Amino acid sequence: MTSKETTKMTLAFGAAAVAATGTVAQTDSAAVNDAFNTLKTYDWGADRNALNPIDQAIIASHGDPAARKVLEKRLVDALAGGLSRSAQDYVCRKLRIVGTAQSVRALAALLPAEETSHIARYALERIPDEKAAEALREALPKVGNKLKPGMIGSLGVRRDTKSIGVIAKSLGDSDLSIARAAAQALGLIGTPAAAQELSRFAKAAPASMKIPVADARLVCAEQLLADGKKAEAVALYEELKGDDQPAQVKVAAMRGLLTAATKK
Amino acid sequence: MSLSTRIPGKGRHVTNDKNKPTKDPSVSPGRRAFLQAAAASVALPYLVPASAMGNAGTTAPSNRIVMAGIGLGNMGGGDLESFLGRGDVQYVAVCDVKRDVREGRMNRVNEKYGNKDCKAYNDFREVLARADIDAVHCATPDHWHAIVVIEACRHGKDIYCQKPETKTLREGKLMIDAARRYSRVVSGGSQRVLEDYRKIVDACWGGSKGQVKSINVNVGPFPTDCNKAGEPIPDGFDWNMWLGPAPWAPYHPHRCSGSYNIDGTSWRSFKDYSGGGMTDWGAHHFGGATFAIDVRELEPEEVIFHNENGRKFATCRFPNGKLLHHNYPNRGNLDVEGTNEQGPSKAVPSYSGTGGIYGDFIDCVKTRRRPFRDIEFAVHTANVCHLFLAAYELERSLKWDTTKQQFVGDDEANRLVDVARREPWVI
Repeated sequence: MTSKETTKMTLAFGAAAVAATGTVAQTDSAAVNDAFNTLKTYDWGADRNALNPIDQAIIASHGDPAARKVLEKRLVDALAGGLSRSAQDYVCRKLRIVGTAQSVRALAALLPAEETSHIARYALERIPDEKAAEALREALPKVGNKLKPGMIGSLGVRRDTKSIGVIAKSLGDSDLSIARAAAQALGLIGTPAAAQELSRFAKAAPASMKIPVADARLVCAEQLLADGKKAEAVALYEELKGDDQPAQVKVAAMRGLLTAATKK
Repeated sequence: MSLSTRIPGKGRHVTNDKNKPTKDPSVSPGRRAFLQAAAASVALPYLVPASAMGNAGTTAPSNRIVMAGIGLGNMGGGDLESFLGRGDVQYVAVCDVKRDVREGRMNRVNEKYGNKDCKAYNDFREVLARADIDAVHCATPDHWHAIVVIEACRHGKDIYCQKPETKTLREGKLMIDAARRYSRVVSGGSQRVLEDYRKIVDACWGGSKGQVKSINVNVGPFPTDCNKAGEPIPDGFDWNMWLGPAPWAPYHPHRCSGSYNIDGTSWRSFKDYSGGGMTDWGAHHFGGATFAIDVRELEPEEVIFHNENGRKFATCRFPNGKLLHHNYPNRGNLDVEGTNEQGPSKAVPSYSGTGGIYGDFIDCVKTRRRPFRDIEFAVHTANVCHLFLAAYELERSLKWDTTKQQFVGDDEANRLVDVARREPWVI
């Protein structure tokens, strides 16, 4: 039996599966169990190697949905069990890789707190399931200003079209970090609706938002062009080539128009 | 259009279609007003004589490239000295999150010029917002590179960024896009790619290796997680800003030391800030290897993970079939496998200007050509490192869609393409 196979089998020693996998090598399952036990008291300064069996279990469970589900549940249960910040950090990093809809609720519970919001997003941003985006969308209006840019940024990276409306409301926020994140996110989402929101805001954007909004509109135009929406892209570029824009933006807009012109 | 790149000491020129001029010619405050007025003309760069761009021997103060440095610890301090020693550069600002570092660098610059004109900053955004600055160099820890480079491009600055240029696969495309969008000169920072592996580069480009099939690189170690316990933050150190987009963690001197060691006593060792030796030295070795076998314009389409009796190694396969091995058993570093009959030779591309990679960057700022270590080549090298890291982390082979910048048919691997950034940082 290869080490990968033995490690894979140890996963079955999650509490829910012990009875069904009586033939699994005891030593390996013991190592994973020990690692989960260590997690309960794990904190800054503790030996990171003590958690390695969980890392190995994740690798070994690839392609085995049942084993992966058990492992994910153990991580989620651990997260709900009152861990130190360092241990929460570890679990969220693992859920970034193996998390599914099953993890979203536990991760979403960490979003409102300043100490854990980012590390929860560390997992949620990368979990493809729509429920992860839903959790971020729902949390956005509820979190404090300090956390909003991150939440908006994650929705932007996911190109979450359902959040265009709520993000657009943040374009005019007096907190520049929030407003900038909103512009950037809309640029990344890059749909005609996102372009419309950016253009609407650009007409009365304060000086502090001029470059962020112009950049977002350029990014948006590139995305529109890539998606075959040439007319919408050209409209954005046309608006950005005027003398009211910084030199580098005007040149970028001209460049964009040339690119669009050569695109069928 | 083709442009010429001079080969130092050889008196001949290499035609390099990739060395195309970028479109925005604004390079110094003295020229900016004129150039801004004509910015919409993409043909403009060809109308501006080189002598007007400070490229004719002597450099009038108004024609010097006005520069600033961001991240000025060990490597950044060396970069600063290299730029400061040039007569065609006027250094006006330094930025570092450590007060003693930035004040020390500021004093050094002011002593050099005999004035008090150089200003010190804690926040790089204030530097990039200055209209009088043409170009910056960045030697922050790796987790900051993409944010700084993209923000520099947004503000119309050219930028020289230390290697490894990226921390994640997603960052690379965003950096290239920003550079091209704003027509900026963006150079990566490995001088070793051209300078340290000449024997093997010359052999490959000179044709003596015949048809090259593969090259091997031995480099490491892998990055690790850092769980070091907290210690008091030193006075004058903006710890929150040092962490920036990385997950919060308590201060520990080993977590943030800029030492070149990759043994758990510097930020280069840890996943949140670096790719370990795989990217730190990998940027050099893989950069040299991809240059030698002439695949620097390409990205791998596949990374093949091998596990032979517990011995793990990996191979990147490029679209033209060439292979780049990592830690291939019984093969030395930069060992080339070729057909070994004499093949056609071609001239080796080199730096433009004088003064190595720094001179190359400055020359390109003036001429608007792409530098030897153009961000696209640098990102391709960094991507090789990241693809290897992903395959080793997941212990399986992966296919990479170079157009979509995604792994093919592997949702789990695609989660490794990027990381969520700590608020308020977004790219």
